[in-house]
Amino acid sequence: MIANAVGFQTLVKREMVRTFSIINQVIWPPVIQTLLYVFVFGFGLGSRFNNNVNGVPYAQFLIPGLIMLQLIDQTYSESSSSVFQGRFMNSIQELLIAPLSAIEMVLGYVVAGVVRAVFIALLITGLGALLVHAYPTNWGLYLLTIVLVAVLFSSLGIIFGLMAEKFDHIAVLTTFFITPLVFVGGVFTSLQMLPPVLQKISLVNPMFYMIDVFRNSYIGTGDVSLWLSLSVVTLFAAAAFAVALGMTAAGYKLRT
Amino acid sequence: MSGTVPALRIDGLVKRYGDFTAVDGISFEVAEGEFFGLLGPNGAGKTTTINAIVGLAHITGGAISLFGYDTVRDWRTARRQVGLAPQEYNFDRYLNIRDVLIFQAGYYGIRGKAVERRADMLLERFDLASKAKLVYTKLSGGMKRRLTLARALIHEPRLVILDEPTAGVDVELRLELWSMLRELNTKGTTIILTTHYLEEAEELCDRIGIIQAGKLVALEATQKLIGDGSLQDVFLELTRR
Repeated sequence: MIANAVGFQTLVKREMVRTFSIINQVIWPPVIQTLLYVFVFGFGLGSRFNNNVNGVPYAQFLIPGLIMLQLIDQTYSESSSSVFQGRFMNSIQELLIAPLSAIEMVLGYVVAGVVRAVFIALLITGLGALLVHAYPTNWGLYLLTIVLVAVLFSSLGIIFGLMAEKFDHIAVLTTFFITPLVFVGGVFTSLQMLPPVLQKISLVNPMFYMIDVFRNSYIGTGDVSLWLSLSVVTLFAAAAFAVALGMTAAGYKLRT
Repeated sequence: MSGTVPALRIDGLVKRYGDFTAVDGISFEVAEGEFFGLLGPNGAGKTTTINAIVGLAHITGGAISLFGYDTVRDWRTARRQVGLAPQEYNFDRYLNIRDVLIFQAGYYGIRGKAVERRADMLLERFDLASKAKLVYTKLSGGMKRRLTLARALIHEPRLVILDEPTAGVDVELRLELWSMLRELNTKGTTIILTTHYLEEAEELCDRIGIIQAGKLVALEATQKLIGDGSLQDVFLELTRR
């Protein structure tokens, strides 16, 4: 599958260099925003829920949702802007003329997205442990969810990075789909806290399953079956990856 | 010139964009070690042909091989044979210029101390060593032009394609680049050059091909093509619409 392993690793490394050269745009905002959410929502509103949501204090309930919120946003943003910028500046030609296959290119961007996601997640996890004593109880599930969600949103980033004609187009998915769906997908609320009609609507929101399975790795329980959540996330990740790979292999907006 | 397998063989290349035919069945060969000029007016099909050679354009029909390797069937091996110096400065803005070279080698599957030494050698050769830690946006136009050439050479390709390598540079740098290109060719690297400076092609190229409206309208040794006239007269005669 990967004949040019050095080429693939070089692309991953290049993406990491890019990430750390714009650290104030990629790494610190999710940490600062999480801090603000914890103070305003966790500490400020927590007492209104009698500090007990799904069996844990509200601030602890909040942490896994906030990690997903930041992870989804940053993974998509970085992947899409890197691909689009490469097309816009034409620097992506460096990859296109090299003996790199579509799978090596897509995996390069996706693996870099996963590494970036794990790094951001660990930072926020540390913050959660420090501030509200929230710790993952199932590290395997914690890592698996991060990887699946990062694969999904890195792949979506590639897809929209390829389709976009200007930076504004990249923001369409974030503004009109990702942010609203994540916010109503259970970052701040448990399914049981919602009125019945909103509970039903939540069940068709894919973000709900991502947040639910990740929260499961913290508190050991979720609003729906773990296997259902995992299946939905895996299915979406596989589909997005396949589409990103197909578009890259076809040279969509890359090769004339 | 040496070797029996041509450095480049283009056989009936066709490239269409919808109803528009950019390249219309051109065929030619470039021998190993040759300095070949590909000329033509704007929109004639030069860049499309180059893009087809290096894999930036899907070909509609025909075949291209580099040192015997088909660019579709044996694309990985074919791409390792060629280095492209594009007209535009499309460097990675997040890397310093030394890393631009090292990362480019990485994409070709090459890494290690040998690549670092080659990057340093190229930076030295192209008088960029003192700028090694800068990003390309800090370089002058002439330096960027030299970096383009250094990047094309980092993986030691047997064929280098130069798309307007002296566009927008002053006379002094142009002469310096000519000298570098001659030296490169003397050491055995096959070179394909596109340029709008006809005196450049006349000065450097062993043979010249002229493309007009996607068709190859001339393919001759430079001196034979010029005859008793000038390349400009021949060019204008062949490309007059």
